[in-house]
Amino acid sequence: MTDLGTRTATPTVRVNGEDVTGEVPARMLLVHYLRENAGRTGVHVGCDSGNCGACTVLLDGAPVKSCMVLAAQASGREVTTVDGLDAPCVPALRRAFVEHAAIQCGYCTPGMLTNATALLRDDPHPDEDAIRAALKGNLCMCTGYQQIVDAVAAAAAEGEEASR
Amino acid sequence: MTIYAPDRVLAASNWVGRRAPRKEDARHLYGRARFLDDLPFEGGAIAILRSPHPHARIVSVDTSRALADPRVLAVVTGEDVRRETSPVASRSVTAPVTQYVMAVDKVRWVGEPVVAIAAVDMFAAKDALDLVDVEYEPLPSVADVDAALAGDAPLIYDDIDSNVLVHDEIAHGPMAQAFDDAAFVVRETYRVGRFSSTPLEPYALTVAYDANNEVYDVVANDQQPARSIGNITKALGVPTANVRLSVPESGGSFGIKLAIWPYALIGCLLAKRAGRPLKWIQTRTEHMLGGTHTPDVKMEMELPVGADGKILAMRLRSKENDGAFIHTAGIYGLIKFATAVGPYTIGAASIDLMSVVTNRGPVVQNRGVGKPAMTFALERSVDRAARRLGMDPAEFRLRNMVPPEAMPYTTPAGEIYESGDYPETMRRALELGRYREFREKQAVARAEGRLLGIGLSAGIEPGTSNIGYYSLLKGTTDYNGSSEGAVVGIEVDGQVTVRTGSVDTGQGHETTICQVVADMLGITPEDISFDTFFDSTRSPYTGQSGAYSNRFNDVEVGAVITATERVRAKVRTLAAYLLEAKEEDLVLGDRAVHVAGDASRSVAFGELAKVAYNKVVLLPPDMEPGLRVMAYYRNPMAKPPDRGDFNVQLTHSNSVHVVVVEVDKGTGMLDFLKYAIVHDCGRQLNPAVVEGMAIGSTVHGIGGALLEEFQYDDAANPLATSFQTYLKPVAQTVPRIELGHLESPCPYTLLGTKATGEGGSITSLAAIGNAVEDALSPYGVQVNSLPITPEKILRGIRDGAPV
Repeated sequence: MTDLGTRTATPTVRVNGEDVTGEVPARMLLVHYLRENAGRTGVHVGCDSGNCGACTVLLDGAPVKSCMVLAAQASGREVTTVDGLDAPCVPALRRAFVEHAAIQCGYCTPGMLTNATALLRDDPHPDEDAIRAALKGNLCMCTGYQQIVDAVAAAAAEGEEASR
Repeated sequence: MTIYAPDRVLAASNWVGRRAPRKEDARHLYGRARFLDDLPFEGGAIAILRSPHPHARIVSVDTSRALADPRVLAVVTGEDVRRETSPVASRSVTAPVTQYVMAVDKVRWVGEPVVAIAAVDMFAAKDALDLVDVEYEPLPSVADVDAALAGDAPLIYDDIDSNVLVHDEIAHGPMAQAFDDAAFVVRETYRVGRFSSTPLEPYALTVAYDANNEVYDVVANDQQPARSIGNITKALGVPTANVRLSVPESGGSFGIKLAIWPYALIGCLLAKRAGRPLKWIQTRTEHMLGGTHTPDVKMEMELPVGADGKILAMRLRSKENDGAFIHTAGIYGLIKFATAVGPYTIGAASIDLMSVVTNRGPVVQNRGVGKPAMTFALERSVDRAARRLGMDPAEFRLRNMVPPEAMPYTTPAGEIYESGDYPETMRRALELGRYREFREKQAVARAEGRLLGIGLSAGIEPGTSNIGYYSLLKGTTDYNGSSEGAVVGIEVDGQVTVRTGSVDTGQGHETTICQVVADMLGITPEDISFDTFFDSTRSPYTGQSGAYSNRFNDVEVGAVITATERVRAKVRTLAAYLLEAKEEDLVLGDRAVHVAGDASRSVAFGELAKVAYNKVVLLPPDMEPGLRVMAYYRNPMAKPPDRGDFNVQLTHSNSVHVVVVEVDKGTGMLDFLKYAIVHDCGRQLNPAVVEGMAIGSTVHGIGGALLEEFQYDDAANPLATSFQTYLKPVAQTVPRIELGHLESPCPYTLLGTKATGEGGSITSLAAIGNAVEDALSPYGVQVNSLPITPEKILRGIRDGAPV
């Protein structure tokens, strides 16, 4: 057995504004740390190879796939998970996901919503191409994406309306 | 016979047919949904050692080093499985082959389970896999049907003398006459690769063994738990009540999660040994190796066509590469009968179906099961026939379509198309897709040297499986998929509760059922509590309960309606008694029963329920207490198995896809300029849910047509084992899909609903294939295989090779 099997780490990760500390295997991925140590089970595992986006969280504000980061690497950093999203666009996004039937099985939804939040925060008025480009790292096997794209566009339009 | 009875069923029209927001959504939007791995759990973890060889003899398995690891709780080997479980029962195979849920003596595909280990946690279980010593003696292997059928091919099952598990021909109608009368015959061989809907949440399960009661408590994201219970109890040799199976929230299924039971069985053996609950979360790579694929298929099709442009017959020889797991072998060939003649008045049809064993992974039912490939071959051949006649492919299809006045229409094999207007569906699709306009644009584009192609495909989307057709091969009626159960009640406080024998894996069942029950009882969906989660100790399941085969809005809704009607009848009788009114004067509304026209006389559901459960002395003397009803429903159109006359499925939606693509000569990539669908799935209970599934299933087809393939090398080593090598459609690359509806109510369902959920994946493959061949027609390149990769397109453009 290699060192990896026995070495531990004790990261302190700020998750949705609260510090979470725990001694864990050094090889533990951030996604598992968030799920098991921080109880954030809305962060899902769909591939563990950085391809599906179900585990997307905001790490110091940037959308990242938390299966591509070790828990230890996130120590001292700030993580926002789907249940902690608090950007101004989030209520409109949540409403739009319902109104546009953007959810089927719901497994991709937390990652989609997290990524869409980062998009609208940085680019409040994306066109359809920009939305589709931003979401290209989040796989959805159910919807064919159209209703998700429409939901994000509707939320953006609502933001535009509000800012007038 | 007419079963359609919306006026009898519905007491109000406030919810059915509306885009009601989904009751399921909130939990997903806040990350509160509880998928299997999110449930509270204390226990160990399971990891599975899988074969690295496509085909090898197992010389020895030594687990002593693993067992010596203090973190290891239990080990199960193939030998243990052979000793403690009965072999896998096949659905349709009659060849005398023996197989277990783990490799015994031999491994037959890369990824076949060889040893399963339970340890204190996931890390420990996976580490311990390195401590198992297996000696293999590699054997020659085969990857495709041609190699498996060659005279000198290695035998994959030693108990039979070939690699053929099923071979049969079933024919109907005057085939010889059709060939005699034909002006020409379109003959072509088509191949469709292996692909999958790859649900975003892979397989997951927990098992706990209660030694006192000898009960295995399994929780799994299974989409057909009823059959799993049967398979597991039979394999373990225990009574039904000794396996409890429950199903939590599930992250998509699409047929793929029909094959989780072998792992649940392995989990049962391990949990009993380990003496503590165990969890298994499949990795994505395991999911892909585990063989959750469609079979790749080779289809030789003949289409004799008369001088008048009528298709006279369809003859197909279909060889499915069913990999090396007998449970589901043969299914993909048999189910093709459901759409063998498409929407056309083809008078004779025959399918020679062969299920071939190779060293590829097992197959499992995937969205549309066999019908996407069937429709691909038929609709490609239809295009060829039109071209041969010099006729527009739309015009040729219109000439051959079943006319609306011929409904209900029975195909040569016995499939009953109950309703629909196929020509009108085509005409509307041509309009929505701006077909004529794009033909003009195409002429201009071609003059400029651009490769613009227009593809049409007309598909039938069946629903509700009459699984009895498997019996055609086995000669016994094991299964029939045309029933479902439900329990509906009014609880003591007036709340309405609903539970069914099935599961939901993302299709919005909770929302849709609540819409129906709301309109039956004059209440709102908010007044109803739907039990989302299946539990075999309380769910009213039948032998084939589950979410598959587009059966929800037929039999599951049918069961809920039947139970609700009985509850409603009792409510009315009781209310009439308590109000001293006539039943016919009563109306339902606002969670109460009212005497029409007399606002002072009404009784609330809660009060009725208190009488029914608590103050039972106030009940009419001959009335049973209680206000809960369990009911089972079946679609009566399922015919018993008969080779001369059988129906594979029981409702039939239809659609036409119009696709316009432009191919880049330099890169072989293609752009969608238009994707339009007109479909008719009967009455829609919730159009937003229907549209989501129509679009989602189409995008699944786009993946299979252009991107996705579980490629294997010639020795059957898998080449696509993650989403890096197995490409899925993403938001950036899929087209916007325009959708139009026709609504021809189904006469054989209570609310006129029909199949909804697989249509896009059935019809899209051919539409895209036809569009690409049309685009490449200046080079005379044929499209005979899927997926259509840029590499194949470039090769076609370079040297005319068929795609």
